[in-house]
Amino acid sequence: MPRRLSRNSSLLTNTSRRRFLQGSAAALAGVGLSNCRRTIGETETVAPADDTTAAAPASGTLQIYTWADYTDDELAAQFTEATGIDVKIDVYDSNETMLAKMQAGGGENYSLIYPSDYMVTEMIGLDMLTELDQSRLVGLDKIRDKWQSPVYDPDNTHSVPYSWGTTGLLYNSEVLTTPPTDWNYLWDNSDVLSRKMTLLDDVRETMGAVLSSLGYSYNATDPAELEEAYQRLLELKPSLASFKSFGWQDELLSGDLLLSMVYSVEGIPVSLENPTFKYVIPESGSSVWTDTMVIPTSAPNVDAAYEWINFNLQPKVSQETVERLFFATPNGEAMTLLSKELLDNQNLFPPEDLLAKCEGIAPVGEANVLYDEYWTKVKSA
Amino acid sequence: MDKGIRPIAALTKAPTLTTVGRMLKSGIRPLGLLGPAGIWLLLLVVLPTLLITELSLVPGLRPGQPIESYGFLNYLRILEPTYLQVLQRSATFATGTTLLCLGFGFPVAYWLALMAPKRWRNLLLVLFILPLWTSSLLRTYAWITLLRSSGVINLVLTTLGLPPQGLMNTPWAVYVGMTYSFLPYMVLILYASLERLDLQLLEAAADLGANPRLAFWRVTVPQTLPGIAAGCLLVFVTSLGDFVVPTLLGGPNSMTISQLIYNQFLGVARNWGFGSSLSMVLILMVSMAIALLLKYGDRNPDIYS
Amino acid sequence: MKVAAPSTKTQDLPSRRRVSWQACLTVMMYCFMYIPIIVLGVYSFNESRYGAIWKGFSLTWYRKLMGDERLFLALGDSLKIALCAVAVSSVLGTLMAVGLAKYRFPGKSLYVGISYLPLIIPDIAISVATLVFLASVAVPLSLWTAIAAHMVFCLAYIAIVVSSRLQGLDPNLEEAALDLGATPTQALLKVLIPQLAPAIVSGCLLAFVLSMDDLLISSFTAGGANPLPIEIFSRVKTGIKPDINALSVLLILASGLIASCSEYFRYKSERS
Repeated sequence: MPRRLSRNSSLLTNTSRRRFLQGSAAALAGVGLSNCRRTIGETETVAPADDTTAAAPASGTLQIYTWADYTDDELAAQFTEATGIDVKIDVYDSNETMLAKMQAGGGENYSLIYPSDYMVTEMIGLDMLTELDQSRLVGLDKIRDKWQSPVYDPDNTHSVPYSWGTTGLLYNSEVLTTPPTDWNYLWDNSDVLSRKMTLLDDVRETMGAVLSSLGYSYNATDPAELEEAYQRLLELKPSLASFKSFGWQDELLSGDLLLSMVYSVEGIPVSLENPTFKYVIPESGSSVWTDTMVIPTSAPNVDAAYEWINFNLQPKVSQETVERLFFATPNGEAMTLLSKELLDNQNLFPPEDLLAKCEGIAPVGEANVLYDEYWTKVKSA
Repeated sequence: MDKGIRPIAALTKAPTLTTVGRMLKSGIRPLGLLGPAGIWLLLLVVLPTLLITELSLVPGLRPGQPIESYGFLNYLRILEPTYLQVLQRSATFATGTTLLCLGFGFPVAYWLALMAPKRWRNLLLVLFILPLWTSSLLRTYAWITLLRSSGVINLVLTTLGLPPQGLMNTPWAVYVGMTYSFLPYMVLILYASLERLDLQLLEAAADLGANPRLAFWRVTVPQTLPGIAAGCLLVFVTSLGDFVVPTLLGGPNSMTISQLIYNQFLGVARNWGFGSSLSMVLILMVSMAIALLLKYGDRNPDIYS
Repeated sequence: MKVAAPSTKTQDLPSRRRVSWQACLTVMMYCFMYIPIIVLGVYSFNESRYGAIWKGFSLTWYRKLMGDERLFLALGDSLKIALCAVAVSSVLGTLMAVGLAKYRFPGKSLYVGISYLPLIIPDIAISVATLVFLASVAVPLSLWTAIAAHMVFCLAYIAIVVSSRLQGLDPNLEEAALDLGATPTQALLKVLIPQLAPAIVSGCLLAFVLSMDDLLISSFTAGGANPLPIEIFSRVKTGIKPDINALSVLLILASGLIASCSEYFRYKSERS
C-alpha cells in the first residue's frame, strides 16, 4: 500500500531525527558541563612543606586506589608540585570490593592502596603486600604509641596508619534525658526506643557490639558465644527500625529516630553541627578502626609510593588534610598543630583510657561462615 | 520473537546469481546480522557464565583457593529455610513492583503514544525518563525525606486531617522506591509498542459498536502484548537485582537475593561458590519465567495473515 | 487537554471533551517522578549539609561543586562509557533483533536465551566473572574494558525493546521494497530501520540511563577511570554532601533545557 508506506516512513524518519537530537542534546549537556567547570573553578596552590628526603628520585605516575574522602584534588596537587609525580586516584566503596578486584587480577596498576585494619591482616596472609623498607620512610616516629605496633600489623611491617575512628552511639539528647552509656542501654530501654533506633548494617560491627554487651570479645569465634549473641540480637530486633550504615542522618535529625549506631566519621560532624545530638562511645568498649596505606606486591611504581607515604606523614600536610577532610589522624605531631577545638573534641580524639577498651576488628577465620549465617537469619526472619 | 516471517525474498532479486551464490548470500546476511552481537555475547556473557557455573559446583570456594573438589553442596544449602525465605521475599518484591509499574505505566504510555499532542510526544517522553539521571542512591535519599514519619508526605496528610502513615522502613517504602525507579522503563517499552498501534482498528471497532473499554481489551491489549511482556520481564528482572532501595528504605527484614549474593561475594563469608550457586538458581528461575512470557507474548493474533 | 488532531478522525476515539482520566493519571505520574528531584533541589540550596536541618538558602554547594574537579572527571568518564557503549550496542542490538526475527536456524533458542542472560545474571556475579575472565586472558583494565562490559547489557536491553516492536510489523513493506528493486541492505536500511526507529531510540535511552547508574560492573572492569556512581557511593562512607545533589539538579536542568530548545527549534523549522 504505497500511501501508508510514504506517510509512515516520512513521519518516522522525522521522529527518529527528533529523538536523536534530543538524546544527543542530553548527552551534550553532560559533556558540556564537565568541560565548562574548568574555566569556573580555581585551583589554589599552597606552598609545599619540604622536609622530604627521597631515597631515590621517583618519577612517572602514581596510581592510588583509595576511599573517596581521604584525598582530594588539593592534596594531589600539592604532592605533584612537591615531587613532580603525577597522581591518578581511583576510588572504591568497600574493602571487599578492593580485595575482590585485586584478587581477580584487576589491580596491577595500583602502587598504593588504603585497606582497613582487618583487611591488612588478611592481605598479609594472602601475601599481597610488600614489606616496607623502614629506612625509606620518614616520620614514622611521629605516629602515636597506640599505632606504633598495632594488633593488625605488628611493628607496622607492611602498613602505615593513616586515619582512625571509632564506632559509637549517636543519640538525641533532648528526648533521651538519661543518656546511654553502654550497649545494654539499648535492651533496657527498648520500649522507649521502639522502632526509633538503628544499628550498623555491618555484621562484624553489630554482632561485635552485642558480643561486647555480653562481655565477650569483638572477635569471638566460639560457636556458643556467637549463638548467645545471635539470640540477644533477635531479642532487640522488634524494636529496631532498620540496619543502616548510611542514610540515617535525615531521620535522626528530624526526630524520627532517637538513636543510631554510627561510625565516628559520620557521627561527630552531626554532633558538631547540632549539639542536641551527642556521640558516645560505650563503656564496655567499642570497635576502633584504622585505615592504612600499603604497597601491594604488584605495584608498578614503588618509589613514587614511598614518596606519597612520606609526603602524607609530614605533620603539616597531615594537619591540613585533617582540617579539610575531617578524619582523625594517628600522627601525634600533626595533632599538636591542630586547632584546639578539634583537639578538644573528645569524640574525635577520645581519652586514652577509653581508647584502650576499644578493640580492633580482626579476621576470625572459619568463624566467618557462622557470622554470615547468623546475619542472614537476623536480616530475613 | 519468532514470528516465522518469510525469509527475505532473495529469490526475486537479481536472477543472474547462481544457486550457490544465492545460498552463500542468504547465508552471509544472517551471519552479518547476528555475528557481531553473537561474538560479543560469547566472549563476555557465555564464558563468564560458564565460569560462574564451574564456581558454583565447588563447595565453599574462597577466592585465591585452588579448585580441589566438586559437589552439589552449594545448591543443597539453598534449600535451607533461611535462604528460601530470602528468595521468596525477592520474588514478592519484584512481582509487586512489576504489577504496580504496569498498572501505572500503561495509562501514561497510552496517553503519550495516542493522546498527547504529536509534536510534544518525544519531549514528554524524554522528560519522563529524565529523573533517572540522578544516581539511585540520591533518589532513594530523597524518598527517605518524603516517606519518614515527619516527612513531606505525612506533613501533607496531617494538614489534610488524615492520619500519618508509618511508611518508612517497611515493605511499602520498598515498593514505592522500586516502582519509582522502574516506572520509566515500563513506560518507554510500552510507548514503543503502543506507538505503532493502528488507530484505524480502534476506529473500526467503534464503528462496529464496541465501547472504548471493550475496544481496549479486545484490540489494544492483544496488539501490544509483546510490549507488555517485554516491559514486565524487564522490570521484574531488574527489580530482582536492586539492592539500594531495600537497604535504605526497607526495615530490618529486608534482605533480598541480590544483597545475599553480594554478601557472599564481598561480605564476611567470601564464599564465591555459594554466591555462584545462588546466581545460577536465580538465572534458572528467571529463565523459566522468560520462557513462559515468550510463549505468551507470541500468541498475539496476526491481523494480516 | 486538547488533542491537536489536524485531520485524522482516528484521534477522536478516546473521549476528549473533558480531560481524560489517562491525562489526569499521567500528570500525577509526572509529579510522582519529579517530587524527589525537587527534594534534591531543595537540599542543594540548603546551607547545612544535612537535609533535615534547614539553615538557610545558599549557593555554597554549587560553589563547592564547581571546584570539585574529580566529580566532573567522574561524570566525564561515565558519559564516555555510556555513550560509546550505547552507540555500538544500538547497532549490534538492532541487527541482532532483526536477525532473530527473520531467520530460523539450528540453535536459535539457545542464542535467544543467551541474549537474555545479561539481564538476568546478578550484577555482582557477572562483574566478578568478567574480571576473572579478562585477567585470565591478560587484558589490562581500562576504560575500554568497562565499555565492553557495559555493551553487554546495553545490547540485551536494546534487543528486547526492538524485538517487541518487530513483532507484528508488516513484512509486506520490505518485500515491496525488494520488488521495487532495492537490495536487501537497502530494504533493511530504508524501510525496516525507520519503522523500528522509536523502539531503537527508546532502547538507547534505557540503556544509557542504566549505564550511567551502574556501579558493580564498572567497579570491577574499569581501570584508571572512575565512573560517577563509584565516586558517589565511595563518598557515602564519610557522608554525602549536597554538592552531589547540586550536580544532579544541574544535569537534569541542563538536559531538560537542551531537549526543550532542540524540540522548539525543530518545531519552528518545520513550521517555516
